[in-house]
Amino acid sequence: MRTLDEDLRRAAATAPDREAVVAGERRMTYAELDAAATRLAAHLHALGVTRGDRVALLLPNGAEAAVAIYGTLRAGAAFTPLNPTIKADKLAYVLRDCEAVALVCDEVLSPVAQEACEHAPGVRHRVAPEDLRPPGAGGGADALPHPPISVDLAAIVYTSGSTGRPKGVTLTHANMAFAADSIVEYLAMTADDRVLCVVPLSFDYGLYQLLMCVRVGATLVLERGFAFPGRVLELLEHERITGLPGVPTIFQLLTSAGGGLAARELPSLRFLTNTAAALEPGAIDALRTAFPGALLYSMYGLTECKRVSYLPPDRLDARPQSVGIPIPGTEAWIEDDAGRRLPPGDVGELLVRGAHVMQGYWNDPEATAARLRPGRWPWERVLATGDLFRADDEGYLYFVGRRDDIIKSRGEKVAPREVEAALHAAAGVRTAAVVGVPDALLGEAIVAYVVPDDGVTLQPAALRRHCAVHLEDYMVPARVELRGALPTTPNGKVDRLALTEEAVTSC
Amino acid sequence: MGETEQVDTGLRAQLRAYVEEAFLYLHPDVELADGDRFLELGVIDSLGFVELVEEVQDRYGIAVEALEITEENFGSIDALVAYVERRRTS
Repeated sequence: MRTLDEDLRRAAATAPDREAVVAGERRMTYAELDAAATRLAAHLHALGVTRGDRVALLLPNGAEAAVAIYGTLRAGAAFTPLNPTIKADKLAYVLRDCEAVALVCDEVLSPVAQEACEHAPGVRHRVAPEDLRPPGAGGGADALPHPPISVDLAAIVYTSGSTGRPKGVTLTHANMAFAADSIVEYLAMTADDRVLCVVPLSFDYGLYQLLMCVRVGATLVLERGFAFPGRVLELLEHERITGLPGVPTIFQLLTSAGGGLAARELPSLRFLTNTAAALEPGAIDALRTAFPGALLYSMYGLTECKRVSYLPPDRLDARPQSVGIPIPGTEAWIEDDAGRRLPPGDVGELLVRGAHVMQGYWNDPEATAARLRPGRWPWERVLATGDLFRADDEGYLYFVGRRDDIIKSRGEKVAPREVEAALHAAAGVRTAAVVGVPDALLGEAIVAYVVPDDGVTLQPAALRRHCAVHLEDYMVPARVELRGALPTTPNGKVDRLALTEEAVTSC
Repeated sequence: MGETEQVDTGLRAQLRAYVEEAFLYLHPDVELADGDRFLELGVIDSLGFVELVEEVQDRYGIAVEALEITEENFGSIDALVAYVERRRTS
């Protein structure tokens, strides 16, 4: 059993001059990443951060984020990766919830960090990017505390909960190392791989690209998000990228923007991976036309166990809508409400067992009990995903729907209650309801229905602006509709189904 | 003022008005200079750039190729002005 930090030490010892992280103009070797991680660990140690403490990371994709992750782990602490577009209220909540003692943040974000820290007195230290550079001389490794072991906490990754409050998924080194190994195995990753990561490292999909590359000593090319298809195509070619992880929104933007794709030959590109939402058959065809030499992996997962399943690329033609089979070393099956395993074809809840299953939600035994159930052995707990699935005769899994009202937009989870709470806080709003409607580009588009207070005139644009100020970018409603009243069910609750139907037909 | 500068001023005002109307209103705390990068300030994200590219195609009749959708061409007001001028005259 190993810790994540051992992967970096090994990569740095095996191939010190190999590129670990490429971000913009910055090219960092494994030796440099290793030295910078040691420096940060020593710095954190000197600040009084000790084994098991939580360090929150508020950084855009870049070499600093990689240093911050491994430096925190090397200090024996656990990291909490945060979306760089997080706003002060939620940041303060998360900092308090995970009891972070330090916050590593980018200069651009510091006003948000400043405001949040005023409401999170437990955060004793702020670490700026200049502390994340490789050292000029001297290591300081001798000053490091006793290293963590594999059962220690490695990360708390926050995910949207249907209550509207984010929940902290707790993961040990063993959890994360196992999940990384399993994915490395089915993607057949080696030190020769060069992965282009345009999804944020604060999203576990992005985070694992780093963990997997470091595990095998491969190179990770990091971009601050996916904004410019031309930039991505240029990187694919010039950086000789072998693997491109994406979500349907990204792949659609990449294949639909203008011409020019077919003109490029990308002999290095070996695989594409898709998760967060299914690719439509048309999108699969477009990807195969644009990248004829690359294998396409359809996958499914949730932060609570990182990844559940993958579809071997040679099964894609026969089962284009399946998310495949459990990842290596794990099991998944479908149960009814009474906990009985269901035969092929029947729809029920998907359950998962394996060393990747989280330890629970931080500080939330109730939510933990709802997701982690007694397993095959007295010590084992299995994960109830909350998602409805069916399996075919050969065990291939098919996503059917969600049990809660969580919206998936741009590959990210959005709790309607979180968006509604932001709208309720806006002046002149009597009530608001938020639903997701199918959208070719977004997966689901967020639509908000707002009832103004009597005599008040509200502007949809102003309400969207209010949301943009208080919520992460991906949570801002695509549309805001004003209503005199909201439809209700016979027992007086907002009728979400009726609103969803209305939103779909009015598109 | 020379003719080119006048064209530039008109185009610049037009593009700036569009960016303000379509994106900047969501970020009341941001003061955007013409050289500031949209992405770095978080003013326009990946989906926003899709809208921006469509606007440039529709309003100026330019067929934008995927490879041209880069920060150098679409990343700031200055970049947009230079790109649109170059493509309109070519």
